[in-house]
Amino acid sequence: MKLKNLITYWRTALTVAEITLRHQWNDSFILFAILVQPMIIAILALFMLRDLGGEYAMFVVVGSGLTGLWSSLLFISGNSINNERRQGTLESLVALPTPFEVIIFGKNLANVVQSLISMSSSYILAALLFGYTLKMVSPLLFVGSVIISIFAFISFGLVIAPLFIIYRGIQQWQNAMEFPVYILAGFLFPIAMLPNWTTPISYVLPPYWAARALHETSTGTGDTEKIFFAWSMMLLFSVIDLFIASKLFKFMLYKARVDATLETV
Amino acid sequence: MNIIEVQNLKRVYRATNGVIRRTTKEIVAVDDLSFDIKEGELFGLLGPNGAGKTTSVKVLATLLIPDAGQVRVKGLDIVKDANEVRKEIGFIFGGERGLYWRLSGNDNLRYFASLYHVAPEISKKRIPYLLELVGLKGRGDERVQGYSRGMKQRLHVARTLLHDPDILFLDEPTIGLDPVGAREFRDVIRNLQSEKKTILLTTHYMFEADSLSDRVAVIDKGLIVALDTPSALKKHVRDLSVVEIETFGIAPNVVEEIRKLPFVDSLSTREQDHRQILHVQTERGAEAVPDLMASLEGMRVGRVTVREPTLEDAYVRLVGGKA
Repeated sequence: MKLKNLITYWRTALTVAEITLRHQWNDSFILFAILVQPMIIAILALFMLRDLGGEYAMFVVVGSGLTGLWSSLLFISGNSINNERRQGTLESLVALPTPFEVIIFGKNLANVVQSLISMSSSYILAALLFGYTLKMVSPLLFVGSVIISIFAFISFGLVIAPLFIIYRGIQQWQNAMEFPVYILAGFLFPIAMLPNWTTPISYVLPPYWAARALHETSTGTGDTEKIFFAWSMMLLFSVIDLFIASKLFKFMLYKARVDATLETV
Repeated sequence: MNIIEVQNLKRVYRATNGVIRRTTKEIVAVDDLSFDIKEGELFGLLGPNGAGKTTSVKVLATLLIPDAGQVRVKGLDIVKDANEVRKEIGFIFGGERGLYWRLSGNDNLRYFASLYHVAPEISKKRIPYLLELVGLKGRGDERVQGYSRGMKQRLHVARTLLHDPDILFLDEPTIGLDPVGAREFRDVIRNLQSEKKTILLTTHYMFEADSLSDRVAVIDKGLIVALDTPSALKKHVRDLSVVEIETFGIAPNVVEEIRKLPFVDSLSTREQDHRQILHVQTERGAEAVPDLMASLEGMRVGRVTVREPTLEDAYVRLVGGKA
């Protein structure tokens, strides 16, 4: 791909993200997924674990933020193509010179960025309601982890969205995929507490490496080597996800043009 | 110079039913369709529902892959060079869908301008120009959900002109518009014609095709039954007159009996406010009226008129009186 194209696509993806944020602003389901549900989870976790002290409060803040991120990715990004189809805008988007995956990339960017609100709201909740003094141990590494996590989540979302269209059977399990990832990715407690046989499953989930990097940089439980390893794993998974996504999008669009399903749900 | 070339286009829809014994039903939407469109020409595509008009437009707009045949837009193959074709075309499908209703008209246009890779400095000037062109000046900041159907249709036109394409596909663009809205829309199309855009227009409204098109193709069951200028098509029915009879509650079997009369060339009916208007094409003109009235004996009959044929009558004759 030429550099000029990359710049054009990046600029387009930013506009898509901005317009998506404006469009979704009034959607009550989105407010629930990124604000209400993570706050409920944060309140429950903070009450249950209040005796463990301030260090754990930071873990809960980051963890409940990650729940918002995953729910947003699973439901909003996962349904993004179907939503366009329901609105009747899918045909208008497919017959454009911009590759369709660039449009979905921009939409995922909006979803992931807006779900960072859930982390901020949990932070405010823990500080004001529970009175914890929350201290970020490695703020610079945390910001780096957030940026790489955003990229990893977006890339993972690019696999989920066409997968839900091509294999509709998988989408029926969408609700069932929400909480197991909270647990297997170690959002709210370390995966060391889970049976050993679940560990390999955690290792192949990009959200696990995001959770690890964010927890370790915010609570100071990991050394730099461990954090960089988590970053590397996220980048590796992102490259794999982007490759798989490019194939899935190509197949999905070709199949939709053969089966005439761009307009019909 | 031909800018669009369609050769032996075939497109089949397949519907699969059943779980254990799966059966696939095939519906041929377009069967061996061939036509060319010249640069700067407005080409009308007419046909009854299910004739294959929208399918043809969707194939041209790269939204459907043909089963057979070759389609070229500006010399580019619509399957192999789909992305290049998309830069050259704009399209509108009839109806209100295809816009983001919770966004303003301006934001819709800004969004699509970005997707068409129109540079921000150009779109800043082009969006107000297009809103003015389609009669939406001063309404760009309002949310689309508050627009009337006609305004949404006009916003569609603005959207499709953002990247200034040379070729436009307009699929029943005036469907559902009130008469004033439809007339304004036709003025927009005339403006585009004057800008030398190549336009493929599908419509149900014969006067629309008659007044706008340079050439018209009539398709039925996925095949072209006639292709010529509107005036040449009207010559198909030059020898005929049209008797219009207003009836109230006419039974379908009576219509079929009239259709079988030896002097009836073709017959179509139109429902209008509890009335059925019979359009009978016949060489006998006014002389046919007594025999037709005899067939309607005992039925309530209103106004009877005899007139010269129009493009619509040519169309009815070509598609066998199914309109």
